[in-house]
Amino acid sequence: MTALRTGQVLLMLAGLIAWALQFTLVYGATSTLCGREWANATLLGLGIVQASILIATLAALAGTGAAFAWSLWEYRWTEARQTSPADRFMIQTGVLINGFSLIVILWQGIPAFILPACA
Amino acid sequence: MEFEATRHCPRWRLRTWARRSGALSCALAVAGCSGVQSALDPAGDDALRIYGLTVIMTVGATLIFFAVTGLLIYAIFAPPERRAWLGGRNTIVLGGLAFPIIVLSMLLPYGLIVMRDTDVPKAGALPIEVIGEQYWWRVRYLGEGGRPAFSTANEIVVPVGSPIALSVTAADVIHSFWIPNFGGKIDMIPGRLNRLNFTAERPGIYRGVCAEFCGDQHARMAFDVVALEPAAFEAWRENQAKPAPEPDLSLLVRGRELFRAGGCGSCHVVRGTEADGRFGPDLTHVGSRRTIGAGQFPNNIGTLAGWIANTQHIKPGVRMPSYGSFTGEDLRALAGYLESLK
Repeated sequence: MTALRTGQVLLMLAGLIAWALQFTLVYGATSTLCGREWANATLLGLGIVQASILIATLAALAGTGAAFAWSLWEYRWTEARQTSPADRFMIQTGVLINGFSLIVILWQGIPAFILPACA
Repeated sequence: MEFEATRHCPRWRLRTWARRSGALSCALAVAGCSGVQSALDPAGDDALRIYGLTVIMTVGATLIFFAVTGLLIYAIFAPPERRAWLGGRNTIVLGGLAFPIIVLSMLLPYGLIVMRDTDVPKAGALPIEVIGEQYWWRVRYLGEGGRPAFSTANEIVVPVGSPIALSVTAADVIHSFWIPNFGGKIDMIPGRLNRLNFTAERPGIYRGVCAEFCGDQHARMAFDVVALEPAAFEAWRENQAKPAPEPDLSLLVRGRELFRAGGCGSCHVVRGTEADGRFGPDLTHVGSRRTIGAGQFPNNIGTLAGWIANTQHIKPGVRMPSYGSFTGEDLRALAGYLESLK
């Protein structure tokens, strides 16, 4: 696989990778912090569990947002020029995956601000 | 003649069958919506919130299902020039992407808020501990300082209008505590305390069940929830905190002696007597309970005697052995004594 193709695959899957990382961080931080009875500790004025989830969610959203913007830019660029069907498919899929990932990352972060941290 | 001829026509038969099955379905649905063990008949605010969420999701899902099915049928049978819009970009973006995203984005916070409000413990709630055991429920009412005031079994009595804070755990394997009329279901895990809060809004008798397979008698592990008016609850609680009443008939005195001589006290406690076993249910006021065998039989001398003599036949696998060696007269005396413990 060429470096260009590797980059395309990574861009296409960037949202899913960010989602997986956010998932791991959110569940890992909640289990560890609640297990060590740090539920009442604060960070940046928020409960430490909520703050960790907020940071992980914002980071994931930022990364995925950038990937989504890049995919969208490439999509518009391919419409203007001749590209191979494989390239076109990967770019379109990248737009969809990164767009959906923005929503699911948001969904995954929302419960932290509605439910108690260590119930 | 004409009517008779019509009765044999297939369309008439189909219509009759549809009418009868529709009536039967309605009757079953209505019957299932009420009763002592129904999540569709909420008896408290928390259960009502969960019920509201259930209705919204069920009605919404049904409408969406029929809309999608209708579109599918339209896509299959409509002439190509009329169904072409279904494959258009706008239909896919609006119907396939925007609609589910908006619906799910609204349902997620709504569902979370409902569950959060249900889990919040209320100030001044009455604390009750429930411990799941194979295959019965140990219920402890707490007194001053959180110490157990008294124990009962297979029956939770609560005052109407007062919040209840249940702490649940298990003594042996994982069980699950569920009173459908009061909403939330919660796992009972050995070594862990889980909490459930509810308020009974109307007096009545409800039924709870074990909702996690816990062994061969899992299906026969139920309990009663009796919601009493506050004054009646206070009277009940005062009575339950007292030691067992002294037997006042010679037959009952004999029953108490048989209880002692038979070694029942090594597993069961009867406060006010030398019986102080902690393995089985507290029998101090067993006669005041509605049922025996964890919600299996009405509580009376006959069922008590049957239970003592044939425990392993009635509910195979429970910890209590059958005591089939008692004579009929002894059984009557023993069951009579237990029944007198009001």
